[in-house]
Amino acid sequence: MRRRTTLLASLALVALTACSGPRPVAGPQAPSSGTASPTAGGRLVYGLSADAAGFNPVTDQFSSQTYSMVGTMVETLVSVDASGAWKPNLAQSVTPNSAADEWTIKLRQGITFSDGTPLTGEVVLANFKAQQASPLTSSVFGPVLSAELADPMSVKVKLRQPWVAFPYHLAAQIGMVLAPASLADPDAAGRAPIGTGPFTLKQYVPDSRMVVTRNPTYWRKGLPYLDEIEFRILPDGQTRAQTLEAGGLDAMGTTRDEDVVKFGALKDSYTVHRPKGMAVAEYMFMLNTAAAPLDDVRVRRALAHATDRAAVIATVRSGLTEEADGPWSKDSPWYDAGGDYPGYDLARATSLVKEVEAEKGPIAFEVLSPPDPSTMAGVELAQDMWRKAGVDVTIRQADQADLINRAVVGDFQATVWTQFSSPDPDGEYVWLHKNYAQPVGSVALNFSRLRDVQLSDALDSGRSNPQPEVRKKDYATVQRRLRELVPFVFVDHLDVGSVIATTRVRGIVDQTLPDGDRRTPLTGAPVPYHPFTQVWVSAK
Amino acid sequence: MIAYRLARLAVVLLVVTFLSYVLLNLLPGDPTTQMLGLSATEEARAELRRQLGLDQPLLVRYGAWLGGLLSGDFGTSPITRVPVAEELVERLPVTLELLVAAEVLALGLAVPAGVAAARRAGRALDQALTALGFALLSTPVFVVGVLLILLFAVTWRVLPATGWTPLSVDVGWNLTSVLLPAVTLGCAQMAVYARLLRTDLIATLQEDYITLARARGLSPRRILWRHALRPSAISLVTAVGLNLGALIGGTVIVETLFGLPGVGRLIVDSIFSRDYLTVQGCVVLISVGYVLVNFAVDLVYAAVDPRIRRA
Repeated sequence: MRRRTTLLASLALVALTACSGPRPVAGPQAPSSGTASPTAGGRLVYGLSADAAGFNPVTDQFSSQTYSMVGTMVETLVSVDASGAWKPNLAQSVTPNSAADEWTIKLRQGITFSDGTPLTGEVVLANFKAQQASPLTSSVFGPVLSAELADPMSVKVKLRQPWVAFPYHLAAQIGMVLAPASLADPDAAGRAPIGTGPFTLKQYVPDSRMVVTRNPTYWRKGLPYLDEIEFRILPDGQTRAQTLEAGGLDAMGTTRDEDVVKFGALKDSYTVHRPKGMAVAEYMFMLNTAAAPLDDVRVRRALAHATDRAAVIATVRSGLTEEADGPWSKDSPWYDAGGDYPGYDLARATSLVKEVEAEKGPIAFEVLSPPDPSTMAGVELAQDMWRKAGVDVTIRQADQADLINRAVVGDFQATVWTQFSSPDPDGEYVWLHKNYAQPVGSVALNFSRLRDVQLSDALDSGRSNPQPEVRKKDYATVQRRLRELVPFVFVDHLDVGSVIATTRVRGIVDQTLPDGDRRTPLTGAPVPYHPFTQVWVSAK
Repeated sequence: MIAYRLARLAVVLLVVTFLSYVLLNLLPGDPTTQMLGLSATEEARAELRRQLGLDQPLLVRYGAWLGGLLSGDFGTSPITRVPVAEELVERLPVTLELLVAAEVLALGLAVPAGVAAARRAGRALDQALTALGFALLSTPVFVVGVLLILLFAVTWRVLPATGWTPLSVDVGWNLTSVLLPAVTLGCAQMAVYARLLRTDLIATLQEDYITLARARGLSPRRILWRHALRPSAISLVTAVGLNLGALIGGTVIVETLFGLPGVGRLIVDSIFSRDYLTVQGCVVLISVGYVLVNFAVDLVYAAVDPRIRRA
């Protein structure tokens, strides 16, 4: 009896300990507004699936999770509005000359970094030089001839060729501006970067949490709304979702369709934000057009014909996504339906396979896949579909590092792949242009190694031509050639990557740019990210 | 004796670190993929490989790392640019606390369960504990973890689902954050320990000296706890030492599941990013820990069974 009492007392003590004291995961609540007006104050706990490899935009490879974290402290020169057009951010204006081969970036007055250093043209120039010298980002600066100070608050960038989409690149990693102190000490910036952002770093525990606190000297008056954000690193998708349910998180990023379905049904408690338009990446099988048997376009078309995209979506995406027939979705301004994408037609697939086999013998190849079960399920489904058409497909597991390495040097025949989420089609230039295709064994950014003159000419024209209607036509050509030549077997527009928040979290997708335009709501893949400047919490 | 053990530790370290270094280097890809991403040029990759010394033969790199280790330098991670020793010092307390808590919970529950089962061998309680033990043994760690989170965090909301509060920040919250992970990790160990103790205790209770003690009129409780338990605990103590390896393997899963910033997570992340130096640092740490724990187990033998001390 006494032992039972002791046991009960111990359990009560544990329960009491669990419920006593201020719980570190939940901070001060925002005062109840009772309206939809933003309320200042409050703390947000945000779940991410992976930690950053480092926070320095000059030296560290950024994932979408890194953008979420670093974006609170370091800002970009340019941003993208809700229509997909680039807009100045730290820059006041970004102006091309008539040929679009020279751009002048004029900075806003009165912006300071969180350490008090003013933002000037000289600082931006130093950032450009650092980015240009970095092995990580130097390739993006390929078309840049030189950068120089035009006046104390302006930098002039001279290009080797006209480049109308140049400002879009300043909305990503290379457009992030670090304070001189961070440029001088890259290792320190890797853990605590100094920027002009709405928050400053308070605490960082690798693989556990990053806490940022409100920057009192932030240049956009009245912002940010939140006092503090804690990013919690929770790699397991299921426990991340359970933590949200248990109240340990206010919001999280996810790639799991079951989360979208489950939390989407609980509209009173949660909001599910999914990316749209150009921000959505495509899920596909990338085919090596320089390696047999996929160097034969008939085999590639047979695979596309054998792929029942609707069945894949119904099976591994809970029916949530749309079928893809190219790199851009139908709700994108750049989408064009031209060309003949080989849709599901098993009879046609079988006939093409037989035709090739009669000439060259049996068709067999290997498809790479990361070992995670959800990706494997999609690949096994495709394997089954392709086998029905008479193609012998084996699956080889490769972890992320191995898979990327193989893609870069062309040591693959086919691989599952996710790509194409740049805000402007020019962002896909290096991945598709013939000049970036190399023989198998050499490093190439055009991983499928497709060397098509028409497609490359259209990419060149789209890069250099300022007329929107001409660009639209160019990128229609790109889509048509991709459908005809099938370097990718497209499956779906992967918009299940989403941000899920409790209903007390507001403003995730309703943010404005400094000049008043509505900002693009979500960016990036596979988990989308967004700024936190105008996110706020309601007690309601 | 100590010199012999130290020599053995050195040999173990040499073999284990060399094998892990070779195995890691056999994996396709290298840290440059993680560091430079997809869009880097061939020249940039080659230059980075040269800077990191990855263009050197494997034996030369291993020798350089070993030389550094002998002077107390674990190296600096090329991925995070943080000294490996610093990273290990940050992570070790989390894993250590998790391991200790899991062992304490496992032993704390296994000893009474094993004793109760042995006392009532073949009866309903024994059969129920046996069934529970097999259920725990056959349930994967991640399933146990998810179920515990579902019950204690989502349904009853008495414990946090994930996250970590360091002991230095708040003792109460530290205990609540370690409880579910420790139970998850300790469940299977508890079942093993209870089974071992039950089996040995049943055998001991059939020894002549126990019969003699009964004949002298000693109470069953005194016989059990005072005279039968200690000699029956040898296998249990051995298992505690040997199972450390399994527990460390379990921390990799448990730390990922519960979002704990421990050595297990560090190993996984470092393997995926081909961060050879950090993996090597973890291997050294685990090897030393494993050897030391088993050395401690040898000392406990002597305390448990005086015959070993005399021998």
